[in-house]
Amino acid sequence: MNNSKKIVLAEDNSILALLLKYKLEKEGYTLLMAKDGKEALELIELNIPDIILTDIMMPFVSGLEVISHVRNKLNLSIPIIVFSSSGQEEMVLNAFNIGATDFMSKPFSPNELIIRIKRILFNKTIFDKTW
Amino acid sequence: MVNIYFYIVEYFKYSPKIIQFLWALSAVFVLIIISLSIYLNHLRVRLRAKERIKAVYQKKYESDLIEYLYSGNEVDEISYEQQIIIDYLNKCAKSSLKRKIIISTLLKLKDEISGETSDAIQRLYCQTGLVHYASSKLKSKKWDVIAKGINELAQFEIKEAHNDVIEHIDHPKREVRKEIQMYSVKLFRFDGLEFLNILTTQLSEWDQIQLLEILQKFESQNMPDITKWLQSSNDSVVSFALKLAKIYNQYEAKEHIVALLNHSSQEIRIESITVLSNFGDIDTSVVLKNDFNQRSIEEQVAIFKMIEDLNDTSDIPFLLEHVNNSNFEIKVLATKILKELNNREDNNIRLITTDIEYSEKTGLIKAS
Repeated sequence: MNNSKKIVLAEDNSILALLLKYKLEKEGYTLLMAKDGKEALELIELNIPDIILTDIMMPFVSGLEVISHVRNKLNLSIPIIVFSSSGQEEMVLNAFNIGATDFMSKPFSPNELIIRIKRILFNKTIFDKTW
Repeated sequence: MVNIYFYIVEYFKYSPKIIQFLWALSAVFVLIIISLSIYLNHLRVRLRAKERIKAVYQKKYESDLIEYLYSGNEVDEISYEQQIIIDYLNKCAKSSLKRKIIISTLLKLKDEISGETSDAIQRLYCQTGLVHYASSKLKSKKWDVIAKGINELAQFEIKEAHNDVIEHIDHPKREVRKEIQMYSVKLFRFDGLEFLNILTTQLSEWDQIQLLEILQKFESQNMPDITKWLQSSNDSVVSFALKLAKIYNQYEAKEHIVALLNHSSQEIRIESITVLSNFGDIDTSVVLKNDFNQRSIEEQVAIFKMIEDLNDTSDIPFLLEHVNNSNFEIKVLATKILKELNNREDNNIRLITTDIEYSEKTGLIKAS
């Protein structure tokens, strides 16, 4: 089931992005990598992923702008997980207000991220089947 | 061309001295500008080349690190692939530039993730011998090198270096002391505060705030015995211990805090009053009221602030005594507490003040 699931990962920390890419690909997901919000938006519009993982602070277009664009301009209900650092609590609240699904505070465990992705995608599948 | 040259030489030779001087000065400036431009250009080229080299190595080390993390086997043994990476990084670490790049690469990931991946990075840091470079920095004569070494050991959570680190606790440079304090508390939590036992230099207010901020992040809030710090000969340690007592409600240290009411430092006496007030210690309030006049104005104000929090009708005579106190702050506090008591207890307190200007200014005296 997981093989067809596409994930857009927007993260400007190259090594974290690489780590998550390997980890998630090992779980059978297809990863579309973006090193800033601008690239992430292009990938989202082009591929319509099953889930979006985005850092809040990124060059050019921030994580908040990515969420806002997905929810308001593209009108998509794709689940979005936000990565935040300590001291960005206010931004996390803003992210939830504009439509983020979940958040993970850095430093986070990649294994926990995988569990959350699986849970969110499972819930989404059930929701889609029901409605 | 030759004519022009001779003309310039002749012109220079027969010019007034001041003009000759100005020409010479201009020539010197032109030379300086040209040499500086050449130097800056060279510097820019060198820096760009260095950046390019850094970017290449960083990319290489990033993929090495990821490979190291994913080539591990389930048991805690080092796999063959991991050993190759360890040997390679160990060799690279001999160059100072490459060492810096490796460390920044490891930290770039370690700061963002937790759990077993973070532990694996810490293991790699030790296996590649990078820990020895950081430990050797502690023996340096330069204070900034020592501070950087301690900072690196703290970031990679190397608890084994504790004895070598703590040797510098009374280093003359504040930056080194600060790094040691951060190292101790980050790695050993409340137990790390043991450095207070041997600290003879001052712990600044800013250092205290930073330590408290780190301590508040920990889930376990098991505070060690603070009484020995309350009895320290270092006033800044006593002050910090009082802050700990207040934040973590160390009521069992009350007797030692009461003893501090007669400390030689006024600041500590005032802080002690504040902490005891925070404990809701009415007995101390009675003691302080008895020797009120022997205390400084600042302490008297602190005592009134204490009574503001812990008051009952038995305080009324004392408060009435100070309604006409010469200190404005005490006078206002006395009136304010009386007014509060009057409202709460439904008493009829009549305030008589001789200071008309004060009554007009405050507008507080409305009790009848």
